[in-house]
Amino acid sequence: MREAVTILLPVVLPALAGILLLAAKEPERKGVITWYTGAVLVATAVLVAVCVVSVNVPVTFFYLLDQVPVCFAPDHMGKVFALVVTLVWVPAGFFSFSYLKGGKKQKRFYGFYLIVYGILNALNFAGNLVTFYVFYELMTLLSMPLVLHEQTREAVMAGLKYLFYSFCGAYMALFGLYVVWHHSGTFVFTERGTLDPSLVSGNEGILLLAACFLLLGFSVKAGMFPMHGWLPVAHPVAPAPASAVLSGLIVKGGVLGMIRVIFYTFGADFLRGSWVQTLFLTLALITVFMGSMLAYLEKGLKKRLAYSTVSQVSYILFGLFLLAPAGLTGSLLHVIFHACIKSCLFLCAGAVIRQTGKQCVDELTGIGKEMPVTMWCFAICSLALIGIPPASGFISKWYLCVGAFDAGIPVVSWLGPVVLLVSALLTAGYLLPIVIRGFFPGQDYDYAVCKRREGSAFLVVPVVLLAAIALVGGMVTGGLTGYLSDLAGQLL
Amino acid sequence: MSFVQNVPFFSIILSMFSGIVSSMLPAKAARWVNTCLIVAVGLMSGILLVYLTNTGEPFVYWMGHFPAPWGNEIRAGVLEAGMALFFCLIMFLSMIGGRRQLADEVAENRQNLYYILVDLLLSSLLALVYTNDLFTAYVFVEINTIAACGLIMIRQIGRTFEAALRYMIMSLLGSGLFLISLCMLYDLTGHLLMSNIKESVALLVAQQEYTVPLMTTIGLLCAGLAIKSALFPFHSWLPDAYGYSTVSSAAMLSSLVSKGYIFLLIKIFYRVIGFEIIAQSKIINVLFIFGLLGMIFGSMSAIQENDIRRMIAFSSVAQIGYIYMGFGLGTEAGMTASIFHIFSHAATKSLLFVAAVGLTDVSKGRREFIELTGSAYRNKMAGIAFTVGCLSMVGVPMFSGFVSKLLFAEASIGHAHKMLPAVLVLALSTILNAIYFMKTVIRIYVPDYRSDCKTITVKNQKVYALTLLCFMVLNVALGMLSKPIENWIHSGLAMFG
Amino acid sequence: MFGPNLFTNYGEAVSVILFVIGFSNLLMQKNLIKKIIGLNIMDTAVYLFLAEKGYIRDRVAPIVVDGVQEVEAYINPVPSGLVLTGIVVSVSVTAIMLSLTIRLYRRYHTLDLDEISMLLKKEGR
Repeated sequence: MREAVTILLPVVLPALAGILLLAAKEPERKGVITWYTGAVLVATAVLVAVCVVSVNVPVTFFYLLDQVPVCFAPDHMGKVFALVVTLVWVPAGFFSFSYLKGGKKQKRFYGFYLIVYGILNALNFAGNLVTFYVFYELMTLLSMPLVLHEQTREAVMAGLKYLFYSFCGAYMALFGLYVVWHHSGTFVFTERGTLDPSLVSGNEGILLLAACFLLLGFSVKAGMFPMHGWLPVAHPVAPAPASAVLSGLIVKGGVLGMIRVIFYTFGADFLRGSWVQTLFLTLALITVFMGSMLAYLEKGLKKRLAYSTVSQVSYILFGLFLLAPAGLTGSLLHVIFHACIKSCLFLCAGAVIRQTGKQCVDELTGIGKEMPVTMWCFAICSLALIGIPPASGFISKWYLCVGAFDAGIPVVSWLGPVVLLVSALLTAGYLLPIVIRGFFPGQDYDYAVCKRREGSAFLVVPVVLLAAIALVGGMVTGGLTGYLSDLAGQLL
Repeated sequence: MSFVQNVPFFSIILSMFSGIVSSMLPAKAARWVNTCLIVAVGLMSGILLVYLTNTGEPFVYWMGHFPAPWGNEIRAGVLEAGMALFFCLIMFLSMIGGRRQLADEVAENRQNLYYILVDLLLSSLLALVYTNDLFTAYVFVEINTIAACGLIMIRQIGRTFEAALRYMIMSLLGSGLFLISLCMLYDLTGHLLMSNIKESVALLVAQQEYTVPLMTTIGLLCAGLAIKSALFPFHSWLPDAYGYSTVSSAAMLSSLVSKGYIFLLIKIFYRVIGFEIIAQSKIINVLFIFGLLGMIFGSMSAIQENDIRRMIAFSSVAQIGYIYMGFGLGTEAGMTASIFHIFSHAATKSLLFVAAVGLTDVSKGRREFIELTGSAYRNKMAGIAFTVGCLSMVGVPMFSGFVSKLLFAEASIGHAHKMLPAVLVLALSTILNAIYFMKTVIRIYVPDYRSDCKTITVKNQKVYALTLLCFMVLNVALGMLSKPIENWIHSGLAMFG
Repeated sequence: MFGPNLFTNYGEAVSVILFVIGFSNLLMQKNLIKKIIGLNIMDTAVYLFLAEKGYIRDRVAPIVVDGVQEVEAYINPVPSGLVLTGIVVSVSVTAIMLSLTIRLYRRYHTLDLDEISMLLKKEGR
């Protein structure tokens, strides 16, 4: 009972608070909404922390059908993801207080922002595939209003695309889910898989197909080629804090889904050496390269960052599909780091757009003189994302390369690191010029028009915080890396 | 004999009697009688349901004083009682939700006719649900057809006349097949009561006599009811009939009339032929294939449709395909899924029809998608309700549609031969569903603040909003309380035995 | 296999043939009146079938005259009852069909259902 309440609170509190906010009348003073949202965000963060510390057993709530329980089981993996979500969601929320100030429909934005936070907590704590699927769908649906927020034609079309891709993906996953469910021994995520060996024998073919569908389905959210089309359209049209969490966290919902499928449902041994592994390794590598390339060619700042997400998340997927401990450790590290880095980059972009109105990369000459703090954070995050030591991206990419060598898969073991390296160079190619030209505008820059445009504390502090994590994460990693490689060791 | 056992007979006769009385009443009084009737029958069915759940035994009720092989009988189990209750609930909500349109679209002096027809419809549906006699079933099938035809053409425009005529023709083809097959069955077995026929059929099958005539007869029986319930490709009448009739008619036609026939077919499977025999025959393979085709082609037509009401109607074709696919699996799990889908579809489809009217009302009565742009902002409650209905249809978790899809998939996964086609088509049709329903939802939420369209707030139409709310609650309840409902369907099917 | 059976049961065979004729007329005729005639042929075929099944050679309808009460003297009354009920049903259905046809004819001056559909499309409602 105590566990049930402890798990439910971080889910129900923000969800109810959000619904309440949506249902309430527009208050006289706008400040009330932000105070309310801020209080709920902090309270939920505390509740998540409590839940992570104190709950270790699965809790079943009710049965959807016979043998289809809805249950929560906060294991190590779920806890890691829950902490990452909290780490980014709360600062991004505070950022939006200033970002959206004076904007329309704030009540609706904060309402859905809170609800999705609750849903994400539920997603991370979900104890079996059906529960996971239920909250996965809800996440898609309820994050839609964040994409649609601006209500321009562009935003609506992007929302439509987002919904289409997500639903198609989710139904592919659903198909796999049915098959897996039928061959499962237990209905709670178990390390090394839930498949019942007596049911599996003779059905390997259909199960591999099911695995393929499940993974393809979840890979839509993770923006993997060939289902990445929605991501660069949908992420940039949202308000910056929403793009930050969409790009930093919601895509990780897809990653978590794939982790749950590979390591907690099928078990790595079942997939190792199969065509599914080969297929997804190939797709992930293609996406890593293609995403970087498209980002390099893109001129819009937010859109470039969105393409970068496409590429970076596939780093994570590549690590997963190596099915090697080092690769998985690298993936998990990259989940954490990428969440912080990409959110920070989006928030920086948001701050720039809000303060200067400049959306295009070419217009950003000299921006470093105008908004030095923001651009310093941008620079740090760029370096971290490229993977230059001592910033955090280096550690995760190091582990990914080690994993690629360890896995000993022909071709991939040398092609993988090469592609990762090339993509890192491209990452440098599309991020560093912004920083360089921002700080060193060149001789024809007119210093006279330059003035300080740094925003309020709400615009600066979250960015600095996330950038600090991105930087420090690369230096003080002993405990974290050890914990994650233990976790990876248990799964493989 | 307990007094509660009079409920089935009493509710049938009460509905017929109210119909007759209403013919002499003005419209307002007839409406009042109708509402009271539906509530009363619903309450009685509820009591019957509780009674049957407690006793756990179905009962047979003699009509007249003749015992089994000769007399006419009514029979009630939990599934019958639950179905009656559910029909009343949906009918009540549909009538209330469409009340305002009815006043607009039907001439003042004809309105009491409408309530007579609804009373008759209820009585025939109840009779179809409860009867234990095949010929009685035929008679009430025809009464049902006539009442439904009246419901379509009560709104007197050319389209509805044409739709009613097409509906009549298709229905008569179906009931003709039903009639001849029932006569042949009578010829083969010498009985008209379901339980007696079942014994004789079992004997015939055991002795392997008259195999070809028996199977032909059963096939014709299924074909007749399949035509009547608009299984693809016999659905040509459906979009016009659902699309142009007044909204409560459309809601009732899609969620009650066709479901009444399907329920009769289920009863025939279990109580007349015997589920084992039907499961081994080739007939269900045919139903299975047409079900699958319906699932795909219904959705395809819905995607191409430019009129919101007709789109919802075409989606019915797909959903009926689901139900027949469940039959086609020929397993207990498939039947359970189909029966659950009857509930889920009835609840959702009537919600969609009622909500769609709210949206067209604020778009100058136009139903083309382009005109509906932004209508969800002009009528917020209808917008929300429509979205909920769409989400349920698409199969988003928490709503009823998800559970029925889950049940269908569970039923088909274990199946030896039909697993792959069933699951693939299920996935495909779900995606198609998502395409056209989500398209509509996006369309109604695209901002377009037109000044020339009126807006409707909850305060303007309290009753309408309340109806939609009830529908939504029903939908979510079906989605969340699926486990007890599933158990209840199982016990109901066991009582058929 | 079918030969002798068909010959002895020629009444049933005829009624089934009639049923098929009526059925296909109802389904395929364009003219509404012909459709309705098809409907009636179809229903009548069923009554013929029932009457044929219900009749037993050398027996009479079960109306007790002259005090004869043995079962062997009479035919089964149930099929005749079914026929009567069926006639009532088919009459009412035919009446509805005819009234609908009249409505449509007055409006569109044609009995061809496809033509009516076309006219409706032109009307654009």
